[in-house]
Amino acid sequence: MKKVLVIDDEPIVRLSSKRTLAPEGYDVTLADSGREGIEILERETFDVILLDLKMPDMSGIDVLKVIMEKWPGTKVIIVTGYSTVDTAVESLRLGAYNHIEKPFTPNSLLAAVKEVFDKKD
Amino acid sequence: MNSIFANPEKSIAAKLIIATGLLIVVFSFLFWYATLKKQEQDIMSIAVKYGDSFVNFAKESTHNSMLSLDKTQTQRILENLSTPEGVQRVKIFDHKGNVEFSSDQEEVGNEVDINSMSCRGCHTDPVTGTLSPSPKKWSKYKDKKGSTSLKIVSQIYNDVSCSSASCHVHPEEQKILGFVETDLSLALLDEALFKQGLALTAYVIIFVIAVSLFLGIINYKIVTNPVHKLSDGMKQVAGGDLDHPVQIDSIDEIGVLASTFNSMIKDLKAAAGQKARWTQTLEEEVAKKTEEIKRTQTGLIQTEKLASLGRMAAGVAHEINNPLTGVVTFAHLMRQRCKPGSDDAEDLDVIIEQAERCAKIIKNLLTFARATPSEKGKIHINNVITKTMTLVKNQEKFHNVKFHMDLADANLVTDGDGTQFQQICLNMFLNAADAMNLRGDITVKTHQVEEKDKPFVETIFTDTGSGIKEEDLPKLFEPFFTTKPVDKGTGLGLSITHGIVKHLGGSIRVKSTLGQGTSFFVRLPLIKQEI
Repeated sequence: MKKVLVIDDEPIVRLSSKRTLAPEGYDVTLADSGREGIEILERETFDVILLDLKMPDMSGIDVLKVIMEKWPGTKVIIVTGYSTVDTAVESLRLGAYNHIEKPFTPNSLLAAVKEVFDKKD
Repeated sequence: MNSIFANPEKSIAAKLIIATGLLIVVFSFLFWYATLKKQEQDIMSIAVKYGDSFVNFAKESTHNSMLSLDKTQTQRILENLSTPEGVQRVKIFDHKGNVEFSSDQEEVGNEVDINSMSCRGCHTDPVTGTLSPSPKKWSKYKDKKGSTSLKIVSQIYNDVSCSSASCHVHPEEQKILGFVETDLSLALLDEALFKQGLALTAYVIIFVIAVSLFLGIINYKIVTNPVHKLSDGMKQVAGGDLDHPVQIDSIDEIGVLASTFNSMIKDLKAAAGQKARWTQTLEEEVAKKTEEIKRTQTGLIQTEKLASLGRMAAGVAHEINNPLTGVVTFAHLMRQRCKPGSDDAEDLDVIIEQAERCAKIIKNLLTFARATPSEKGKIHINNVITKTMTLVKNQEKFHNVKFHMDLADANLVTDGDGTQFQQICLNMFLNAADAMNLRGDITVKTHQVEEKDKPFVETIFTDTGSGIKEEDLPKLFEPFFTTKPVDKGTGLGLSITHGIVKHLGGSIRVKSTLGQGTSFFVRLPLIKQEI
């Protein structure tokens, strides 16, 4: 089972991701904050993590740093409304795998996630 | 003239006139007095001389009758001698003072007063017979009528004829036999002297008045009048009137003062003119600066307004992205479940399309508002323009658009991110194409300009489009302001451009003529120019 963790403070984004990915055979776990995401990651391993950059308590960049430190090699796709070159460059520099813009379409999300597994295979 | 004597302490002329007048009066009085005295003296000496002659005549006349001891004859001669006008009395007395003969018979036999001038004229002490060192033989006195009279006393010496006369009355050793004394009235001389004095006084008074008047007039002409003119001139100058020089033609000290004063007025006038010109220049400069400050302030307010609007828009845009993700995702999911070509599928397509339009608007908004620092570098203005032009020229939108390049020979360089300037060019080209309904000419001109002594590179984008209405010009750079159809423009292109230009430290302004076209002037600081 391909496991995907969605870390986003916005319920609608979490729901959209789950509803897009689940029918395609992905096992989707949801976390509503960076802290909760890290707690889940302590227990389980995921193939892909969808990470929002702008969150209230712990920013996506901070979460990314923790993930990259504790579980290097994890595939993190940054999902952000701030589609600026700078944030994209920084997240990639920190070890993010890819980066997609909000609002995403089901196809663009699926394509980004699928790409991870295609490369893996 | 009266005014100068009203307050003499305030008038030089009055002081001069009074001083010279007083001097004239004093000297005239001295002259008058001295002349009168001299006349009197002269007349007296003449009177004394004639009196002496008269006394000698009396002596001679009585000589024979005396020798013959004819007392009656002597008495008669004396009486006869006193008959002419002016002769008051003639008498003969001996050295003891006994009056022997007199024209006034009542006196005969009397003694002459020992203290009278008759004795005291020659003797300091008539009793002892001591002689005075300066004997005086005549005296002047006032008679009973108040007229001046002259008394002359003359000795009768003991002639040989007397001592040797047959009568032998007088011994030879006796020197003086007696005295002839006469009283002569000087009333006529008094009158003449008085008349002469009167005439002299009149002359002196007339002289004083004439000289004073003359001095007064001269003073008025030479001092008072010019000084008044000068003083009036100074009052006028003090009142601010610099157009009336003082008219004094003399070459004396006052004339020199007046011409100095006039040249001072001239200098003052020139200075006042200069001052007025400076004030004018200063006012113009102040007005210019005020206008500049106003413009800068308006620009600052506009920039600040745009910046805060941008921050707000960014916040809103970011929040909207999340629900929009939901809308897009679920619309797509529903669309997948619908039969292709069904009404539901078509309706969902509309939802998806509109949601994507929302996403596009938000993307533009975020581009406009993003405050992230751009990459620092060098922008080669001409290169970027040419590159952008080449990029768009082949797009369908620009197929009927003709580009004209009027670029500066020098390679003009400014600081900043090349892609930012490219975005400016792109926005300009897109707007121009839309304004021309995709058909017309776009001219791009670059050149160097000076603004407040600083070099700038100015890029002018000119189209042959429909132009912009005057009332729309002030709102042109505001976000969401657009004249394009609702589905064509977001109203962010020019505000993004404005934001970038400001970020690069430049300015943008627009000039438009309805029906003829529009020019945008983009000024960026010139770092260097490479030939």
